[in-house]
Amino acid sequence: MITAERKPISEIKEMIAPYRKILVVGCGSCVAECAAGGEKEVGLLSSALRMDAKASGKEIEIKEITLDRQCVYEFIDHLAEIISQYDAVLSLACGAGVQAVAEVFPKAPILPALNTTFLGETKEAGLWVENCRGCGDCKLGVFAAVCPVTRCAKGLFNGPCGGSKTDRCEVDPDVPCAWQLIVTRLEDMGQLDLLRKVHPPADWSKQQGKGPRKIIREDQRT
Amino acid sequence: MITESRLKNVLDSGNFAVTAECGPPKGADPEVVKSKGTILKGHVDSVNVTDNQTGVVRLNSLAACALLRAEGLDPVLQMVTRDRNRIALQSDVLGASALGIRNILCLSGDHQSFGNQPQAKGVFDIDSVQLIQTVRQMRDAGEIIGGEKLASPPELFIGAVANPFADPFKYRAARLATKVDAGAEFIQTQCIFNLKRFKEWMGLVRDNRTADQVYILGGITPLKSARMAEYMAKNVAGMDLPKDVINRMKAAPAKEQRQEGIRIAVETIHALREIKGVHGVHIMAIEWEDAVPQIVEEAKLFPRPQA
Amino acid sequence: MDQRGTGFTRAILFCRQLDPNQDVNRRAIEREMGGSIRFFPLPCSGRVDPLYLMRALESGADKVYLITCPEGACRYREGNLRAKKRVAYTQGLIEEIGFARERLELIVPSAEKRVTIDELTRDILAREAAIGTSPVKGK
Repeated sequence: MITAERKPISEIKEMIAPYRKILVVGCGSCVAECAAGGEKEVGLLSSALRMDAKASGKEIEIKEITLDRQCVYEFIDHLAEIISQYDAVLSLACGAGVQAVAEVFPKAPILPALNTTFLGETKEAGLWVENCRGCGDCKLGVFAAVCPVTRCAKGLFNGPCGGSKTDRCEVDPDVPCAWQLIVTRLEDMGQLDLLRKVHPPADWSKQQGKGPRKIIREDQRT
Repeated sequence: MITESRLKNVLDSGNFAVTAECGPPKGADPEVVKSKGTILKGHVDSVNVTDNQTGVVRLNSLAACALLRAEGLDPVLQMVTRDRNRIALQSDVLGASALGIRNILCLSGDHQSFGNQPQAKGVFDIDSVQLIQTVRQMRDAGEIIGGEKLASPPELFIGAVANPFADPFKYRAARLATKVDAGAEFIQTQCIFNLKRFKEWMGLVRDNRTADQVYILGGITPLKSARMAEYMAKNVAGMDLPKDVINRMKAAPAKEQRQEGIRIAVETIHALREIKGVHGVHIMAIEWEDAVPQIVEEAKLFPRPQA
Repeated sequence: MDQRGTGFTRAILFCRQLDPNQDVNRRAIEREMGGSIRFFPLPCSGRVDPLYLMRALESGADKVYLITCPEGACRYREGNLRAKKRVAYTQGLIEEIGFARERLELIVPSAEKRVTIDELTRDILAREAAIGTSPVKGK
């Protein structure tokens, strides 16, 4: 899923300062799972913004709404009837959701309340970890299902750097060395030979070659 | 004009090679580089110039190499993949060769978060092994990545680094083999303080036949003080500085600690000369280049052979 | 629970488990203090959502308390520990809008002797430091 974190309220306040009537829109998918942009977080942020406005003698009107998804037109469409009553939309979606809403409503200011962070996994309650960079050329098959692009701080394809000590990354002792994990897993599976091959330079054009990427599937189109 | 790598010639003729490290200044004054070169000239075969080491902005490695080259030294251009993508790296390889630089050391580089630009974007378009392979292919096949032909290939003696003290230890010898497969011709190691572990690693490197295919230069760093030893043991990534070395430094009176550091360095060099498969030493006297001539002389590696 | 314009100044959210007779006991103090105090019994303090705390503050409470059962006494084992983390989270949130974190307080009663909710409340109010009128009531 896509993870995100709420921006500092000071930054949000600065963005919404010119507006009085604000539509605060949550997203019930990924960002709800990581407790950043679901219905509950919409409630908390709206409450905080209202309290702040009252305390500083400002007038503000907030409508709270949470869509099942903010990145799919059918769900965004639920805003169509009410959006004209508001001066701005404060979106608690990931960057994709914010932009999807903006495309549907070209004249409305759509403001991001979250910082979108990474593709990751819910490791345990309250802990999310990054493990995919969406490079477009998955090599997990040769790296024992541990992604060196994401989980090695230097994104090394051909073995650990010289800083790995007692299975920790030199950059952050809280982070396990991805290459230690790869070597251990391959060793356990008796496949250490996979590492004898020199992996040639990666094809980053699959990640960022010609600007934003797209996927077209004719069979899925109407 | 030197047109060949002095380092390569010294090694090929069977001599025990001596290289040293020169860190460029945090400034634009060429005299700093030249004066470091003057100290080292004659006492070492070649001089490595670090590439924004530990992610700290310093005078460009390629420029410093060119300055040393003009002073008649044989520079080793250190090149990290942290700061430049494959376009810039390959372009710099060609530029280095054009400036008469004949040695290159390929590294991934310390992570940018350690340096004075922690908010920088780490490039890591390719890794150190891929850089070795790229330079080798440029030189031997006259081809850049993707197969396009060069009008004229670069002339470079290709090196890589190895850290026998990092983990996973058992995999470290295989990793060296990968670098040699990729095209590395000489290896400079992390500073050696733990001789026991280094010997163990050399055993593995001889066992997998890598030692026969590459020149290995053992890393030497003279300790300036007990405090420096403790600092390095604690704070430098990938460093293995055993307690007995630290204790030996501590046992020396403050005034004599520098001399003790040099003594340890010289003893380590003597020990390395006895290890099969070790072809030289690489002296990294951090901001203490003056120590190098003394170490080389006391290790009885002076005068250097003609090459 | 919009209490603007009334004398409502304190909201007390508490774990129902800490006083089996809470229903009767809190009524007495409620009668005495009128609208200036409101009680919100919870099945377990761990069930508190930061949103409840925010709503209580937003509706004008000068101070909001969350009383857990004594540490180690939670029948759901970790309820009171969770309550502590949620109060801390909400304190961070109100600090971001310039409210003193002391407007929210977690009370963990001593495990040594059982007390009733009204006794607890009187104790808390007796040693309460001045907090001032909530900023949401305007200037």
